[in-house]
Amino acid sequence: MSDQVTLQNASKTLNKSKEKVSIRGLNFYYGQNRALKDVSLGLYEGEVTAFIGPSGCGKSTLLRILNRMYDLYPGQRAEGEVLLDGENVLSKDLDLNLLRSRVGMVFQKPTPFPMSIYDNIAFGIRLYEKLPKSEMDGRVETALKRSAIWNEVKDKLQASGLSLSGGQQQRLCIARTVAIKPEVILFDEPCSALDPISTAKIEELIDELGGDYTIAIVTHNMQQAARVSRYTAFMYLGEMVEFNETNDIFTSPRDKRTQDYVTGRFG
Amino acid sequence: MSATAIPAASVHSSTMDRARALGRLKFTDTSFYWMTIGSALIVLILLLGVAISLFVGAWPAFREFGFNFLISDAWSPPKEKFGAATAIYGTLVTSIIAMLIAVPVGLGVAVFLTELCWAPLRRPIGVAIELLAGIPSIIYGIWGAYYFRPVMQEYIQPFLIATLGNIPGIGFLFAGPPFGYGVLTAGLVLAVMILPFITAISRDVFDTVPPVLKEAAYGVGATTFEVVGNVVIPYTRVGVIGGVMLALGRALGETMAVTFVIGNATKIQTSILAQGTTISAMIANQFADADPGLFTSSLLALGFILFVLTFLVLAAARWMLARMELK
Amino acid sequence: MANPFYSGRRRRNGVWTVLCYSATIFGLAWLALILGALLWKGVEGLSLDVFTKSTAPPGVVGGLLNSIVGSLIQAGIGLAIGAPLGILAGTYLAEYGGGSRLATVVRFINDILLSAPSIVVGLFIYELLVVPVGHFSALAGGVALAVIGAPIMVRTTEDMLNLVPNQLREAASALGMPRSLVIRHIAYKAVRSGLVTGVLLAIARMTGETAPLIFTALGNSLFTLNPTGPMSSLPLIIYEFARSPYAEQQKLAWSGALLLTFAVLALSVSARALSAQAQQR
Repeated sequence: MSDQVTLQNASKTLNKSKEKVSIRGLNFYYGQNRALKDVSLGLYEGEVTAFIGPSGCGKSTLLRILNRMYDLYPGQRAEGEVLLDGENVLSKDLDLNLLRSRVGMVFQKPTPFPMSIYDNIAFGIRLYEKLPKSEMDGRVETALKRSAIWNEVKDKLQASGLSLSGGQQQRLCIARTVAIKPEVILFDEPCSALDPISTAKIEELIDELGGDYTIAIVTHNMQQAARVSRYTAFMYLGEMVEFNETNDIFTSPRDKRTQDYVTGRFG
Repeated sequence: MSATAIPAASVHSSTMDRARALGRLKFTDTSFYWMTIGSALIVLILLLGVAISLFVGAWPAFREFGFNFLISDAWSPPKEKFGAATAIYGTLVTSIIAMLIAVPVGLGVAVFLTELCWAPLRRPIGVAIELLAGIPSIIYGIWGAYYFRPVMQEYIQPFLIATLGNIPGIGFLFAGPPFGYGVLTAGLVLAVMILPFITAISRDVFDTVPPVLKEAAYGVGATTFEVVGNVVIPYTRVGVIGGVMLALGRALGETMAVTFVIGNATKIQTSILAQGTTISAMIANQFADADPGLFTSSLLALGFILFVLTFLVLAAARWMLARMELK
Repeated sequence: MANPFYSGRRRRNGVWTVLCYSATIFGLAWLALILGALLWKGVEGLSLDVFTKSTAPPGVVGGLLNSIVGSLIQAGIGLAIGAPLGILAGTYLAEYGGGSRLATVVRFINDILLSAPSIVVGLFIYELLVVPVGHFSALAGGVALAVIGAPIMVRTTEDMLNLVPNQLREAASALGMPRSLVIRHIAYKAVRSGLVTGVLLAIARMTGETAPLIFTALGNSLFTLNPTGPMSSLPLIIYEFARSPYAEQQKLAWSGALLLTFAVLALSVSARALSAQAQQR
């Protein structure tokens, strides 16, 4: 099938040394309060980048800028440059819905829609594509397989999304995000509400997804960051303290604050 | 498995398709927004419309009688002389009587429900009270006419005339032949009608007291009513007053519960056993026969006065309930 | 504990307790009396004729068919106009308006309308839809009912939508879903039973109102389905027949009262059952 061929080519066209998302001089304000101070870094295409740091350091704030989620709330504003394939995400004329179709997000708390498992996935797809039932069935199945939940739900696709366990719900949310074929996926502490077994499954999933998407993951858990990411950014009090390959951050951090954090002195 | 891998859609044409799909949704998105804000504006306009249309219809009467309209108890269609005093008096007195009875009893029931009632019975009784608060007012009216008025006529009014009617100083309030109809009867029927409403609101208000506060008081050995008096009531005071004023607003505007038993007289009398009228009862009774002109205009003027009165009471009630929620 | 202070306190507590129990028995007793009278006198007049024949002059066997149908029609009109108005306005307050000045004012106005005297609403619609047209109509009656029912639905809709967690909205927005779809397909679905509860409560309120219909629909002794002319309804016929000197009409008034109360209670009970069921999930 021509689909298959495009698959191979698509993977090959992910240029792992190219910056998919470039952040330059980013400042963010909650009202008068400056939460992010001159943050600059790049997310490499097809790689997993982890954001670590103590509570309140701004890592979730940063993530939510990448898909303009903060736009839903008045009083919050961002200044600086965030380029997605060269296009500034912060510009006022940007079509936010289009942006969010390219930059997906998985949240801390699993939030399945109040509909069947099938519709949870199909709903997002229907926003953008008009597909006949057989094709939609296939897309739903592929998304659920990709999120390692197909076997658990294939016999109950019409059951409510809310009837699943916490870990399953989160994988459903991941399937939902993956189904609309984004380019970047943002994970905001995806496992903090889950049990260890579900956490392990999702980490494995993120690892697998890593090859096909540009992924950014915020996590409290340093070991998790070490397990799944190629690059890590350490943030502290709204500043980007250090950004490097994960191995280097953990074994030979350059900044003292980084070293104190990864060795457990604080945080 | 590579067969199930979904590649990232970094192909340009897909983005174009998406933009087009989203563009099609833009129209429904904006029109939905405008429909919601339009509906909100209609709600706003409705109240203004009520005020304005009543005032416009009432203007001939206001212009003709001036301030006198409020204090004159004249009501003569043939002579075209109208005054609102009887109606305003009746509205106020029936509501006050209703409040004097319904507030203590209603609060008592609310305290019972929140503090004294055996736990499994709390929900059923609470539900029953709320359902009763929804009974249409005409039911109270018809019951009042067929059951309560005769009882008032046979037993209660004669009793009051014989006892309280003889006490110097307040005796004049309870004078007069016992017809069963009257301001007192209407006030009592109104009281029964408002009772579930006050109970329901007070109970909701009492439920907002954080259990830890009550537990702390019980913990130092306070009795149930010491807790109620020293913790619950002070904490919810503003909310209770707000709820009571809300009930007052309803009582002032009530038509059906009152019109069957009030007697529809047009002169103010000192005895509360005598017949009278309220603003809404007067409008309901006379509107059909009113010829356009000063008569109808006077009735609309009555309506406007009622509107202003209830608006003020309801606004005050809301302000108090809002202050309570701020805590 | 021989503390004299303590026994005084206990006595006072006892007195208040007795008072509260008395209040409860007193209150519930009156309401039991009313419902009892309703059942007693209402059942007496019930027969198949009540549901199959329209109101008739004294001496002729009649029923309440035209009034029942009239109530249904006018409540239907009230719902058709009031429900979209109420739900959309409530949506504005919860989703778009937030703390804006317009939203604050609309909330205030809505609360006033919620408890406003229904006779005043009747007068307003009389001036608006009866005087210019020259005659009474069920349509005007329905509009008056809509004005009474809409504020209830505004309140319920706003309260329900405020319960939807923001994370659910964010999850939908994160897929690129435009705001109105987030509201219509996600938020509404999440609180669907709550919205229905509000509608049921509004219908219960609308069905029971008499005063606004006196000046708008007026009433009609004949069976009619025409909304542009006067039409009867249960509350109106109860009002008329209860004051009638004829025994058979008085009996019908009581039967009508029983039917009306039954309908209103059934709607309220369904509303509560629905919301309790939703809360359990």
